[in-house]
Order: sequence, then C-alpha cells, then structure tokens
Amino acid sequence: MKIIIIEDEPELAKSIADYLASENYLCEFATSFHEALEKVTTYEYNCILLDLMLPGGDGMSILEELKKQNKQDGVIIISAKNALDDKIKGLHLGADDYLAKPFHLSELAARIYSVIRRRQFANANIIQQNELQIDLLAKTLLIHNTPVVLTKKEFGLLLFFMGNKNRVISKNALAEHLSGDLADMLDNHDFVYAHIKNLKKKLTEAGCENYLKTVYGTGYKWEND
Amino acid sequence: MAQATNGKMTKLLNTPLKVFTLYALVVLAGSIPAYYYIVNRIWLSEIDMHNKFVKRKIEKELNTIAINDTILAQNIRLWSHIEPGINLQPVAESTRKNDSRYTVMKSTVLHSKRLNRFRGLSSYLTINGKWYHLTVETNVEETDEVISNIAFVTIGFFILLVIGFIGLNQRISAKLWQPFYNTLNQIKTFDLSSRVPIAFEKTNIVEFEELNNSLQKLIDKNRATYQEQKEFTENASHELQTPLAIIQSKLDLLLQSKSLTANESEIIEAAHKALARTSRINKNLLLLSKIENQQFVDTEMMNVSQLVTDSLAFLAEHSETRNIVIEMRVEEYVYMEGNRILLEILINNLLMNAVRHNKDNGLIRVDFSKQGFIVANTGISNALNEASLFKRFSSSSSQTPGSGLGLAIVKQICSRYHWQIGYSFDNGFHTFSTSF
Repeated sequence: MKIIIIEDEPELAKSIADYLASENYLCEFATSFHEALEKVTTYEYNCILLDLMLPGGDGMSILEELKKQNKQDGVIIISAKNALDDKIKGLHLGADDYLAKPFHLSELAARIYSVIRRRQFANANIIQQNELQIDLLAKTLLIHNTPVVLTKKEFGLLLFFMGNKNRVISKNALAEHLSGDLADMLDNHDFVYAHIKNLKKKLTEAGCENYLKTVYGTGYKWEND
Repeated sequence: MAQATNGKMTKLLNTPLKVFTLYALVVLAGSIPAYYYIVNRIWLSEIDMHNKFVKRKIEKELNTIAINDTILAQNIRLWSHIEPGINLQPVAESTRKNDSRYTVMKSTVLHSKRLNRFRGLSSYLTINGKWYHLTVETNVEETDEVISNIAFVTIGFFILLVIGFIGLNQRISAKLWQPFYNTLNQIKTFDLSSRVPIAFEKTNIVEFEELNNSLQKLIDKNRATYQEQKEFTENASHELQTPLAIIQSKLDLLLQSKSLTANESEIIEAAHKALARTSRINKNLLLLSKIENQQFVDTEMMNVSQLVTDSLAFLAEHSETRNIVIEMRVEEYVYMEGNRILLEILINNLLMNAVRHNKDNGLIRVDFSKQGFIVANTGISNALNEASLFKRFSSSSSQTPGSGLGLAIVKQICSRYHWQIGYSFDNGFHTFSTSF
C-alpha cells in the first residue's frame, strides 16, 4: 500500500509514517505544494494525506488537479483549520474524509484503512479475520458464520480496532472516536469502558477468540498476527 | 448598563428655555416700576402744565374782566364751592412765596371715604393789583391702579414670551438639533462586535460635523483594534493546532513502545488528558472567535426538536452511569432557522453542563418549546455567580476541568440570534433558560 503524506511539518509527517509503517504501508513525503503536485500527478497512491496549508499553494488546488485528471486515489484532508467551508469544499472536490488537527494517529489509521478498503472493495467490502467476518456495507458481523448483533457504537469500535491492529489505542482516542466533538466536553471516559466491555462479551459469547486486550489499564489493543 | 435617568436630568433644550424664561421674568418684573416711574412722571408733568395753564387763564381772565373787589370776593367764594380743586385767597404781599408743586392725598366730595391723589400748584398772582394765593389741585390716577394696570399688561406680555419661547424651542429642537439626535441614535445602536460600519449623516453645521468626524475616527480606531484582537485570537489558535498535533502524535507513538512499563503508560495517559484539555480550550477559543467573526453564515430551516432529542439520546448513556434522571418535555416539530452547527453546540453545551455539573443520583429537567429552551439540574447547593458565569474562563466549579468556554460560547450564540439567556437558582435547581 502506498501512501503519500503531504505535510509541511516534518515531525508530524514522521510520526504518521512511523505509526503506519507497521501496517505494510509504504509512506512517501511531500513538504511543499509543487513537490506534492508533481508526485500525485505522476504516481498512483492508495491514499493521499493532504494538508491544506502548504508552502507554495493551497492544498485545494491539488484536489482540483486530481479531479481534473480523473485520478482514483483516496484522499484524506488533514487540516488545522477545521472550517466547515473547507470540509464541504474538500469533500465536494472528491476528498474521502476530513480530519482536523490535532488528531489521534489511531483515528487517522482507522480512516485510512476505511478509505483504502472502500476504494479497493467497492462492491463486496468484507473483512475476514479467522473466525470473524465483517461486512462493511451491510454493517454486519458473522462469527463462525453466525450473525452477532452489535450496536452502532460497538460496530464502530470493532472497525476502529481493525484499522489499528496490534497497536495500543488510548482511551482518549476511543472516546473521541465514539463521541466526536462532544468528547471535548466529557471529563469522564468511563463510557468507553462500558462499550468495550459489551463488545468483548458479545464476541466471547459467540465463540470468538480474545483478540481485544487491555494494556496497563489505560489503553486497548487488538492482537492478531 | 444603568440608564442615567435620575430626576435631575433635563433635556438639552429645556435648560436654556428655563433660563430664558427666568430672565424674561426678571426683566419684565423690573420693567413694572420703571414703567410706573416714567408714566407717573409724564403724567405729573402734564398735570403741572395743566395747572399752570389754569393759573394763567385765571390771572388773565380775572384781570381783563375788571370787576370790583366785592363781586370778585363773592365770585371766588361761589367758585370755590363749585370747583373745590381751585382755591383763591387774598394774601398780603409780604407772605408771597415762589411757586411750588405738591402731591396730596385727600377725599373728594363724591367718594368721601376713599382717598384720591391730587397734584397741586401753589402760586401767587395779582388781580387788580392785589395779591392772591392760588392753589389748583387736579386728580391724578392712584399709584396702585397705575401699577396694577402696568403689571397686568406686563404679565400678558410675559405669557406671550413664554409661549413664544416654547414654540420656538420646539421648532429649533426639531430642526437645528436634528443632526445631533441623529448622531446620538447612531451611537446608541452601535455595536462594536457587529460588522456593520457606522455612517453619520452629513450636516451643514460646523460643530456637528466636527463631532461626527471625531466620533467616526474614534469608532474606526476602536473597530480596527477590536478586529485585530479577534484576528489575533483566531490566528493564535490556528498556529497552536499544528504543534498540538505533533505532541499528540508523539504520545500516540510513544504508547506503541514495546518496553513501556505500566507506570510510564500512566504518565502518557495523563499527558494525553492534559493535551486533550489544551486542544479543547484551543478549539473552543477558535470557535468563539469564529462566531464573533460571523463565520457561521449558512442558515437553514431545521427541526430543532430533533436536535434536542438526539443530544439527549447521546447524553443518556452518560447520565445513566451516574444514575441521573432526565425529565424531558420536548415539543415536537419546532422548526427554526439558523446555523445547524451553532444550534447543535448551544443545545449540547447546555445539556452537557447539566450532566457534568450534576451530582450522582441527580435530576435534570429539560423543557423545549417554541418559546425557549430551559435546562434545570441539581448540583452544588448554592447559586453560581451569574455575573461571571457567561464570561470566558470563569468556571465556577474547579473540580470539573472543562474548557471554561462552554457558557461563553452559548452566550455568544444567543447574542448572535438575539436570544435571551438567563440563569437562576431555585429550590436546589440551577436553571439556564434561553428564550427565542
């Protein structure tokens, strides 16, 4: 999988690349508008991470160029602006997702995972992992070919773990994933624990192996080789 | 802000009116004795002339008739009887004095009880070579009558003046001071945070034009400063996002370290929490300045009842863990026009506060209708400080580390849509009511 990180802040780009490296992603970098434009128009990427404020130009123009050339790369905008206008405009220009800075790397990884899967398996998007079978379009889960009913939040959590296999995810990241902007106002992240507990219980009851591990009581990890 | 309308305040134009009226009163009151003095003098001098004329006539006539002394004495007696104002007495030449004039009060025959004023002439004349003393007394109008007549006329003029003053004053107020009142109204409605620039009407009066120009300069300067300050907040928040993102990503990476001990992991978690709070404050500051900068311009017609219900549903799991009961009365299908994001934030912030600042096993009452949105919750047992409640970073509860901006944002959204937000504490319930 090839990913290009278009970001002028080297430390942030490096963090992203480090985090994604373990997941068989091959990361390239572009730190300026022109470098980015040259690379994305020349090569194919599975996913483009695009910062809108770049030295030399506006990231939106890159989106416009991609659209003009009818390129099928997945695009996730990562912006410090969090402006609704940008979000709407970006999605309209063909971006797949929009993530405002600061974000958790796990959140980014989950979104990249989702974008790439959507691009690759447009018609039959099914994740198979041992006894688990997740249908992303129908939003259903089969364990040992038996349907398991999950709530919307539990399903969301499961997908989040799929995108962050073998990595420790902080409770904060999960809380933000579950409640979006509202997580800002919640001081108590115990609700995360409740959802995790329920998910775990359902998985175990359906005969699923225990992949979901608690790490030092502060985070969670989906272990699967 | 306290309106400066105590009893001693008067309108600008009423002050000169009062002074003018008082001045007119003093002048006119002073004119009464002056008029009297002048009228009296003219009168007396006229009568003196008249008396002199009478004397000359008597002297001339009696000398030309040439009658003897007996008949003359008889005639004089008869005359004195008919005309008591004229008295002619024979005197020795040695007693003769210079002519003199005098004023005397005495009763006339007809009005015996009332004293009248007389102006007299005492003179000496010769008839047929003999000396006579002549007094001629003519009735003069009484002093009080003269004064009262003058006063009466003067009061009449005074009333005319006052009516004139009031009338003219009103016309002046309507015309001359109009630019001033225009300016005043402009300033009254001026809102520094509004984007509408102030524009004073042109006037051809130098002072008003100067006033307008000075005000314009002052306001423009203030607006520029205010704008800069707002932009500063927005820019500063923006600039902070990237370093925050770097720290966050580094912490996320650090968490992946295989050699991490439980202790270290806790440190990372604590740092994560503090960082989350920092980005929350930063995000909310950015949000506040964006609302202030009117960046949420899109409006749509939406079912606000739905937004309230959704938010309540989301909060349910958080309130349930703390055993907080939510009593809600949500009027269905209340459609309102506004910016969806702002309305969501308003509703979420108020409801979220009700959960966050509640006590375990507490109660929340939500009442939503066309008229307004009321959220009441149990919590700490004394009232919050309303004056600072809606200000930035004035969180009155220190044990819940919020961003300190939630209510400031609520207030900002309310003022954006001209809604009223109020706080009250009654019966253990903290109530926030928004009236649309």
